[in-house]
Amino acid sequence: MNIQFTREQLTLRDELRAYFAGLMTPALTAECERDMGEGGGPLWRDALRQMGNDGWIGVGWPEAWGGRGMTPLEQFIFVEEIMRAGYPFPFLTTESVGPILAEHGNDWIKRELVPKILKGEVLIAIGYSEPDAGTDLASLKTSAVRDGDEWVINGQKMWTSLAHFCDYTWLAVRTDPGAAKKHKGISMFLVPNSDPGWSCAPVQTLGGVRTNATFYDNIRVSNDYLVGELHGGWKLITGQLNRERLSLINFGPISELFNQVVHWASAAQMPAGGRVIDQSWVQQNLGRCRALIECMKLIVYKQSWAMTEEVLDMADASAAKVYGSEGFIEVYRMLGEIVGQAGLLRPGCPQATAEASKIERLYRTASIITFGGGANEIQRDIISAAGLWMPRASR
Amino acid sequence: MEFGFSEEQREVQQLARKILSDRVTPATLSAYDEYQSPRLDRALWQQFATVGLIGVCIEQRYGGMGFGFMELALLIEEVGRSIAPVPAISHCVSTLLAIQRFGSEEMKEAMLPGAVAGEFLLTAALAEPLNEDPADPHTMTALIDGDSLVLSGTKTAVPFASQAQYILLAARTATGVAVVLLDPQATGVTLDQQRSTSFEPQCELLLDSVRVPLSSAITLTEGAGIMRWVGERSAAAICAHQLGATDCAMRMAASYTSERQQFGVPVATFQAVGHRMADCYVDVECLRLTTYQAVSLLASEVAATTEVQIAKIWAGDAGHRVSYACQHVHGGTGIDRDYPLWRYCLWLRHNEMTLGCSAAQQSALGARLAMGEALFN
Repeated sequence: MNIQFTREQLTLRDELRAYFAGLMTPALTAECERDMGEGGGPLWRDALRQMGNDGWIGVGWPEAWGGRGMTPLEQFIFVEEIMRAGYPFPFLTTESVGPILAEHGNDWIKRELVPKILKGEVLIAIGYSEPDAGTDLASLKTSAVRDGDEWVINGQKMWTSLAHFCDYTWLAVRTDPGAAKKHKGISMFLVPNSDPGWSCAPVQTLGGVRTNATFYDNIRVSNDYLVGELHGGWKLITGQLNRERLSLINFGPISELFNQVVHWASAAQMPAGGRVIDQSWVQQNLGRCRALIECMKLIVYKQSWAMTEEVLDMADASAAKVYGSEGFIEVYRMLGEIVGQAGLLRPGCPQATAEASKIERLYRTASIITFGGGANEIQRDIISAAGLWMPRASR
Repeated sequence: MEFGFSEEQREVQQLARKILSDRVTPATLSAYDEYQSPRLDRALWQQFATVGLIGVCIEQRYGGMGFGFMELALLIEEVGRSIAPVPAISHCVSTLLAIQRFGSEEMKEAMLPGAVAGEFLLTAALAEPLNEDPADPHTMTALIDGDSLVLSGTKTAVPFASQAQYILLAARTATGVAVVLLDPQATGVTLDQQRSTSFEPQCELLLDSVRVPLSSAITLTEGAGIMRWVGERSAAAICAHQLGATDCAMRMAASYTSERQQFGVPVATFQAVGHRMADCYVDVECLRLTTYQAVSLLASEVAATTEVQIAKIWAGDAGHRVSYACQHVHGGTGIDRDYPLWRYCLWLRHNEMTLGCSAAQQSALGARLAMGEALFN
């Protein structure tokens, strides 16, 4: 037990900080802020390719894939630092779907697609939810039907975030409508978003973040695009979701925001005298946030260590998701209280300050991950069953 | 970064767990309820001494095992898991560690081997009325007079004071803070028994011009730094004790609700119950991680004020929430004194309130942030 980075890991972190300081030009920063922390712009794509060429995206991947052969902990340090720098990193592609493709993809996917992910050239959206299949995902209806050597895909997905600038959709479809258990009749496909049968319609959200409804109209793909075993998709979905839950909880940006608010409150003078941070309730809020974020950090470090040691525990992955997603909301609220009315000013408003308007926006976006990536109720079910061995009600 | 346990750490855990699960049962604990007798199992303590656990973190030349603070914290976690009636924190952490780190060679030779062998008990007086900062005594004062220190003042909630041969305490002097080992038999010492929520033997310690030889002093001036060192390790040890106790209470509630049937099904199958227990799981995991972080930094003598404060915030919050959630899902059984949960609830409260509650720790952490300390790096 020794919860400290090694000297090498600290050196890597410093190297990455310097690298990202150079990469994040004012123009790129402005583009990322315009895109509401989602990315997808031209400068954003250039920067992603640059990182790929410089060998960073796969820092924790085996060298055989074009990675640097370090561990998931180094991979985590990379993602934490890039998010801290304000670059919306496409972690769903690189950290969550990518490893599943590397493990379960056929030769074509391993040869053609995985190296391109590590080069920053391929982006993948996730197509699970449907209008009538959310938490009960296994009831999905989008179908793939075999026609000779090909598969014909038809259906609709909801909340297909990032799809409008991705190259593929990682799509869950029903391949066996007659399966006795509905989750045994699901397969995974990679569908090219360039196919004429693929279309998407924007869905605007409270936080200003765009997501999508996506439509699949007689899309024909060969067997190359099937990932893993036919009807064996459920295992890949749950494996991907476990990884996604970890990627969602990244403590880099929130620790940076915390520091910014402390610096602001230490400098800001109140009209009646004294600094904002001299008020006892401000110090209470900061103390609580500091303790809350510290724990978020430790949870994700432990998960990264567990992935390195291959002892990742299902209950702990769900605990990280519950704690992190609900913690983000509490921290945004408490930091928002400190900046006060300024925390209601939208980005771009002439009177807005950078920290305060960031909090204005983040507070509006924070609910997404309490239900996205598997509703927290389902995570709590998993924790009580897998972590405490409590029996579950049948559904 | 390593979240796993070493071979030695597993051995300490398993040794402690084996002894404690054999010797600490609801029946043995019931002998101390309501202060029927002092809550100190001397036979168990002697067994700890025999297998070397009292000196787990003491150098071998003084009869210890020579391991570090992490191993000691893991022992204390097991003591918490069983809420065993032994003075592990006051004796091993607050006092023995202080003597080993700051005592003269003469004092170490006089104190450590006997204390490690279980021949006598030591304790520390860390709190004064309305002052829980061990490094900043006000009520207790000391004057130098010839070859003696003359102590006057009050310490409160001193654990095992009536059972201890010496009591480590800090007193304010004209030039700083003195730290001494006090013989409670000395003239002018009054020990008033206190009856505490946990049934821990505790005293209020009243000193009226008590003369202590200068040779019993660890320092006459530099006590603030020493007591901060002692206070942080003691607080981290309380967190480890709380970790063991919350984990045990939580698992007791999980297994009870898995067995208990209502409406023809185990109550654990109701989501409202399962989710409350899932929240306990998250709380205990947070306490575990923050505690292990604080302990591992302290074990390598790295500055850890922030990390100890954060762990103590979690010890208070998680302890309170786990206690009430576990009582609640048990229904009346949780508070029935024939069922073992209630004693855990007392200790969760004890640990929550000892050496700084969550609100006080948050406030202290916030004040440090206002001084430009404790930011994320």
